[in-house]
Amino acid sequence: MPMKTNIEEIILHVARVMIDELKLEDITPEGFDPDIDLVDEIGIDSMDLATVALVLRDHYAIRIEEDDYPKLTNVRLIAEYIEQKLSEKSVAAAN
Amino acid sequence: MMSRISGNQTGKETNSFRKEWKFSEILAERGVRERWEKVRKYFFLRESTYDMSNRCNIRCEGCYYYEGDKQFAAENKNPDSWRRLMQAEKARGITYVVLAGAEPSLAPDLCRICFKEFPLGSIATNGLKAIPADINFKIHISVWGNDDTSARVRSAKNMLIRQIENYRGDPRAVFVYTFTSNNIDQVHEVAAILAEHGCKLTFNVFSAPVGYRGDLRHTPETLGETRKAMMDLLTAYPGNVLFSPYNAVAHTHRKGLHDLYGCSYPRRNASTDIGLGRSFRQYRTDLNWDRAAACCVPDTDCDDCRHYAAGSAVVTARMFRHAGDPQTFKSWLDYVDTYLSVWVMDYHKGANLSDRMAAPPENEIF
Ligand code: SF4
Ligand code: SF4
Repeated sequence: MPMKTNIEEIILHVARVMIDELKLEDITPEGFDPDIDLVDEIGIDSMDLATVALVLRDHYAIRIEEDDYPKLTNVRLIAEYIEQKLSEKSVAAAN
Repeated sequence: MMSRISGNQTGKETNSFRKEWKFSEILAERGVRERWEKVRKYFFLRESTYDMSNRCNIRCEGCYYYEGDKQFAAENKNPDSWRRLMQAEKARGITYVVLAGAEPSLAPDLCRICFKEFPLGSIATNGLKAIPADINFKIHISVWGNDDTSARVRSAKNMLIRQIENYRGDPRAVFVYTFTSNNIDQVHEVAAILAEHGCKLTFNVFSAPVGYRGDLRHTPETLGETRKAMMDLLTAYPGNVLFSPYNAVAHTHRKGLHDLYGCSYPRRNASTDIGLGRSFRQYRTDLNWDRAAACCVPDTDCDDCRHYAAGSAVVTARMFRHAGDPQTFKSWLDYVDTYLSVWVMDYHKGANLSDRMAAPPENEIF
């Protein structure tokens, strides 16, 4: 379970999952532009996104709602979504 | 992780604790990872459908093609127009074409042009006129009951044997038996004949066209009988029947596909966000398409939609929500494995991972 929730760390991790799961060639997590449009420029579809979401769900132990997929159009937005969910979780745990 | 939840597999309230499965734990089960890797190679498939002809050599009761206004589109028979359309489709990311009707076998040259541009696709036909062997798409041959029923409902004599003569031993061919409310018992006779000739068979469920007033529409009772017949035939002809227990649940549920899974075709999904709602088009014979009407079975009553082609897109797209526990995920994998074996040339169905019926996520089993 990752303890660091720094946004840059999450971006790197999301990029790594994206590369591993979707077998994206010739790109490193560090070289993955977090602002590139995953649909229009990488060509990922809803099944790809679902696969990545399941792996991220496991890793961060958070819920990723299917209805939120349309918002998750680049790596930065996914990372921000995860960060938000993690902070909601820690607030809930504190209460 | 363990969590307290407010619903179980049957959707009823419960106070019990249920394990919350990680995806990696589900994939760790024997056979599941392998099947997952097998099917996910096909996640690149993005379909669109095309009406190849507005003519048909028979007239069936309950035909959805002759509902609505698509039947009035003029036929564009120009090979160059079709070639250009196919190239444009490829350029916008389409990887799979479904050639449909009225009757595509009446336009073989246009089907051939589509095949030359796209290696993957399928053709929906009534099977009375053979589609040339060089068009190497899956061919779905519609069967609506035994020959007496076909003579009555489709006005075609000796239909099954003519279909078999055209497609016996053809690896492209899948016979699609459509269960209506009044041909359920006949499936046993039809399946026996098809099995005897070594033919592959899958199942469809009659989904009424908008405004349909005939008696083919299902009731909860006939859906139950249909489910039982599907399960019986799955056991009786495992080498011929391309289906799974979860297919039976999804297509004979009292709720239609849209209510169960949320249909993502443009006709039901106004958004152009990621997925089918963004990429799918349904072209008429004049090569135009209309977003408001676009799905694989336009003019079907959405509330009654249990169509096999609709399910192939709608159920498979809902991978995420099936990944909550091993039984549901195995059922989903069986569904996808079935769908690929029916729609993709040279894809061979494996044994079902689950031999029992699972409830659709957040729903009861009926
Ligand atoms: S064969 Fe198909 S297109 Fe032709 S009338 Fe029957 S259902 Fe309609
Ligand atoms: S008829 Fe079926 S596939 Fe078409 S939009 Fe309605 S629910 Fe979806």
